Formats: sequence, C-alpha cells, structure tokens
Amino acid sequence: MPPNHPHIIRDFDESIRKLSESVISMGNQSRLNLQRAVEALIQRDIDRCKAVIADDSEIDEAERSVDAMGMDILLRFHPVARDLRLVISSMKAVASLERISDHAVNIAKRAKKMLSREEIREVRLIEPIYLMADELLRDALASFADRDSTTGRNLAVRDKELDRAHKRVVATLSQLLEEGGANSESYLHLILIVRSLERVGDLAVNVGEDAVFLDAAEDIRYAQRRYARESDDPDTDPAP
Amino acid sequence: MNASSSNDSNSRPSAISVENVDFCYGKSRALKGISLEVTRNEIVAFIGPSGCGKSTLLRCFNRMNDLVPGARVTQGTIHIEGVEIHSPEVDPVELRRRVGMVFQKSNPFPRSIYENVAYGPRLAGTSEKGALDSIVEKALRGAALWDEVKDRLGESAFGLSGGQQQRLCIARTIAVKPEIVLMDEPCSALDPVATAKVEELILELKREFTIVIVTHNMQQATRISDRTAFFYLGELVEFDETGRIFSNPRRQETEDYVTGRFG
Repeated sequence: MPPNHPHIIRDFDESIRKLSESVISMGNQSRLNLQRAVEALIQRDIDRCKAVIADDSEIDEAERSVDAMGMDILLRFHPVARDLRLVISSMKAVASLERISDHAVNIAKRAKKMLSREEIREVRLIEPIYLMADELLRDALASFADRDSTTGRNLAVRDKELDRAHKRVVATLSQLLEEGGANSESYLHLILIVRSLERVGDLAVNVGEDAVFLDAAEDIRYAQRRYARESDDPDTDPAP
Repeated sequence: MNASSSNDSNSRPSAISVENVDFCYGKSRALKGISLEVTRNEIVAFIGPSGCGKSTLLRCFNRMNDLVPGARVTQGTIHIEGVEIHSPEVDPVELRRRVGMVFQKSNPFPRSIYENVAYGPRLAGTSEKGALDSIVEKALRGAALWDEVKDRLGESAFGLSGGQQQRLCIARTIAVKPEIVLMDEPCSALDPVATAKVEELILELKREFTIVIVTHNMQQATRISDRTAFFYLGELVEFDETGRIFSNPRRQETEDYVTGRFG
C-alpha cells in the first residue's frame, strides 16, 4: 500500500485540504494585520490604523469558518489519526490566530491615539520586538503548514528571548514614565503595545504546540509551561 | 511480520496465544507468520480489508476451519488457556464449547426462544428442568434479552427482531459457559439501535469473557475494544491499544487504512 494514498472519498480529501489552507491563510492575514499595525504606528499613518481595525472582522469570520469546516468534517467523516489531529489542531490554532489579530487591533488603536500627540523617538524601540514576534509567528505558521514538529517545538525557547527583550524595553519606558512630562501617555501606550507583541509571541508558541500535536501526536503544552516556570522569573506571565 | 504491541495488561493471564501461525487454503497462504496474545477479559478487535485473513484467524481459535476441505494451519501454534488446540487430546467439540462463536447473521434454530438457549446445556448433559430454567434465564439476562422475552419463552425465535435474534444467539453462546467468545461482524446486519444494544452487551460480557471481534466498522472498534489488530494481505501489520491505533498508529499502512486512504 503506498503511503499517503488519496482518500477513497474525494470530498474528504478536498475538505481536509480546504481546512488546512484556511488555517494558513488566516494566519497570514493575522500576520499581515500585525505588520500593518506596527507600520501604522511607526509611520504615523491614521488610514492604516483604521484599516487594521476594520479588517479584524474578516479574521473573526475566518475563525468561525474554520470551526464550521472542522465541525462539518467531524460530523460527516468521523476522521481518525492524522485527520482527526488536523481538525482538532486547526480549531485550536485559529483561536490563537484570532487573538493575534486582536492584539494588532489593540496596537492600531493605541497608535491612533498616539497620532494626536507629539511624535516620540522611543517608538523605534518597538521595531526589534515586533521583528522577534513576527519571526515566531512566521515559523509557527510554517511548522503548522509543513507539519514540522521540530520547528514547532523550538518556538518556546525562542519566545524566552522575546520575553527578555520585552522586559528590557518595558524597563526603559517605565523609567521615562516615572520621570513624567508631556509624553507620559505615549510611553504608557508604548508599554502596552510591547506587551501586546509579547503576547503575540506566546500565541505563536501555542500555534507551534498545535503543530507538534498535528505532526507528532504529542501534547507538549504542560512540558512547555513547566519549562517556562523553571527557566524564567515570576515577573513573566505563563503562556495563555 | 510480527507486529509490536504495547499492552498494559501484560500481567493478566493469556487467553489466546498465537505463535508464528501460517494458514493455507490449499496452496494459497491466507495467514503469514501471525503472532499475537489476547489476555483474559479484554476485547480485541480485528480490522482490515476483506480477504486480509482476520476471519480466518478468528476461525482458527475454535478450529472452525477444520470443516473447510484443504484448509489447515501449516506452521505455528495456537494455545487457548495454555493448551495447544491442535494437540490430539483436544476434542474440537469441547473446544467449541469453550470458545463460542457469534456470526454475522443471526442464526437461531427453528425452535422456541427457550429451546434455542437450552439446546447447548442439554447437549452438555443438563436435563433437569429447574437447572435448565435457571441457565436459560441467566443466559438471557446476560444477553440483555430477558425482560423482552420472559413472557414468551415458548414462542418461535423467528418472531424476534433481527437485533433480538442476534442477542438470542449471544445468549445461546454464553449458556454453555465458554471462556472466550468470538464474534464475526455481529452487528453488520443490524440497525443502529440494535447495534448499540449489542455493543453495550459486548462491553458487559467483558466482565466474564474474553472477546475477539472481527469488524468492518472502525467506529465500532474504537467504541468497544481495548486493543485492535490490523491485518493486511494475511499479515498482522499492527496490534496495539485501540486509542493508539486510531489516534497515532505506528505503521503507515495502518494509518492509510484507518483514515480511509486505502487503494
């Protein structure tokens, strides 16, 4: 029997393919929203802020659509083994991806508020944090699309670098906030934006965990959290 | 091919032990080097495409294949409760009492409900009415049929529904107190409600008996069996906990079969 033989019911293969593609497409859309939110912040582009906020409803719809597809596959085909894992991990991954887009909206909303105030050069501190979060998200999506558990498994360790960078930037901004002055509100917005990016890293780790389950049928969530507890200090929140 | 099996019930005594068994119909080899162990009071499901050898192996366990001309075990041993079933001192009729069988299609005798169940015990030497009554009631209760038929025990078994007839056949099988019950697609002719009742019954029977069931219904295997064996082209490809077989099988062939990617 050759491996990966097509399914006897063609409609089943088609449904599975559509489900898998929808997750990745939604992930790319969330990633794009995040990128546009950060660009809007740095380039002080109000139209882009508004677009990010408006486009979030598409992400919500994509999440609902993947859940409906998953439910339909469960109902009609009673999938097992890798097919069952794909349905379960897809439905879980899209919940994380939807949250990522929510964080993009939060960033866009704060960027909008910051636009009404004087530009501050500390906005540049956001960029490296964003790049780290984006790389984690990119690789999480790749690990899911390629069913690559090795990449998915490594995300938690890489997320620690993001956590450390997040803490450094928050410390710098908190210092400025304590000093007071006209820019205090903007510093506060930036702290919360960095916080959103740090959460994006956590959510990317979750998607990576879903990819490990999909590829290797292993539930590594608790191991990851134990790692987080053992290797980090109490100031960092555990992954959601 | 010897399939690996991680069995957490290793400590339980073996009910059926198959070692390196080859089986031929004439020159055609239907089973190739099969080895597996079934422990007491577990439910093992045999799955695989038609012609893979699963029913042939099931029929080896009570030597039902002896009745097929030219069919024989050509290599290996089968022990039931520690006794090699092909050894000369084993009486096939007594073996079939100890290893009962339920078939795909219910096959009650053209007799009353009572007589269907009493037939085996009577043949085994029980003739006293009170003793027979008690055996019949216990077997019908065991087959979850008593409440439905207790007021019409004298009526023909053919008046029962398909699902009831199948449960009557199960009652007939367990009336002679077997140690092992073999089932060859026992629900394939039943509607979903009757199937659910038989499945519920099988899970109940596990307390007293060891059960091996051949099924084409993989959902059924996941619902009722502790372990599942996948056969393909006369070989045992994989034998493992049912949860493992249907969530993350070790062999690609098993994955292809259980997920329906089988050409």
